[in-house]
Amino acid sequence: MGKIKALVIDDSKIMRSAVKRTLNQLMLADFEYIEAKDGEEALEKFNGEIDIMFVDWNMPNMTGVEFAKAIRDKGYEKIPIIMVTAEKSMGKVDKALNEGGANEYITKPFTADKMHKAINQYFDEEGNMASDDEEDGKQKSFFKSILNS
Amino acid sequence: MKLDNLTELDKIPEEIVCKVRESVVNTIESIIGADVKYVDETNGEGPLNGIIGNINVFNSEHTLSLMLAIPKDSALHFSEVFMGMELPFESDDMGDLIGEISNILAGDVAANVEKVGFHGQSSLPTATRGSDLTLFMPNKPPTEKMKFIADDAEFWLTMVLSESK
Repeated sequence: MGKIKALVIDDSKIMRSAVKRTLNQLMLADFEYIEAKDGEEALEKFNGEIDIMFVDWNMPNMTGVEFAKAIRDKGYEKIPIIMVTAEKSMGKVDKALNEGGANEYITKPFTADKMHKAINQYFDEEGNMASDDEEDGKQKSFFKSILNS
Repeated sequence: MKLDNLTELDKIPEEIVCKVRESVVNTIESIIGADVKYVDETNGEGPLNGIIGNINVFNSEHTLSLMLAIPKDSALHFSEVFMGMELPFESDDMGDLIGEISNILAGDVAANVEKVGFHGQSSLPTATRGSDLTLFMPNKPPTEKMKFIADDAEFWLTMVLSESK
């Protein structure tokens, strides 16, 4: 099981700690954390070798949605972007998922259970990122099992 | 809902007050994991020894300012339940925590007052810590002060409705 590089972006140090603490509790993987206090700093720290990102919305300098869009515009389509935000209106959710290209949307305050439901699908049983190939493989074997039943 | 000219309003419309009150109860309950109750009494409260989280929900016409006043003991309790440990009251982390609680509250308020026609977005939060703190509203804008209690905490929310300038 290798280390999973998680980029945690929030202008609140307390919330970055809360995200890290929750991820550690879930034990889905062995995480190595890279932290940033806004989208601008996150872009500076982003080197393409990040496995998953947890992104707040409302931050100075560059918002989470602007950051997510910048990452997608750079061509990184497959890195899971999890919005972790206090914004709750449906319009905001829609904007984050469609305009920003985020994969999941978690509202604050979050519980470990809420976090688990949102991100469990991105990890395999060995604590690695579930790759598209593995997902395809799982789907294929699922359909195969239906066909054979 | 269409807000009247604020110079003619002497109080915040009741439908907004109700939605904000609801947001405070729901948000703080989910943060501290205990029942929060609104208390219909605000007279006789002296200056605060504690911390105030400030945040706005605003649009181009109106600004709803939220000031969450938390006494020192309650702030310590909030830090214990939120972080799993008591943060030093004088630390930057305490300001960060109360700012974040204000941010979470504003997110809920923005979504909730949208249901009664106030469409707005949240500003970034700030926090003010000190003793003998008193809130003044020099231009007498429409204001509502509410008190809330939970098992081991009490706090106040003052909200002010003003024109965005």
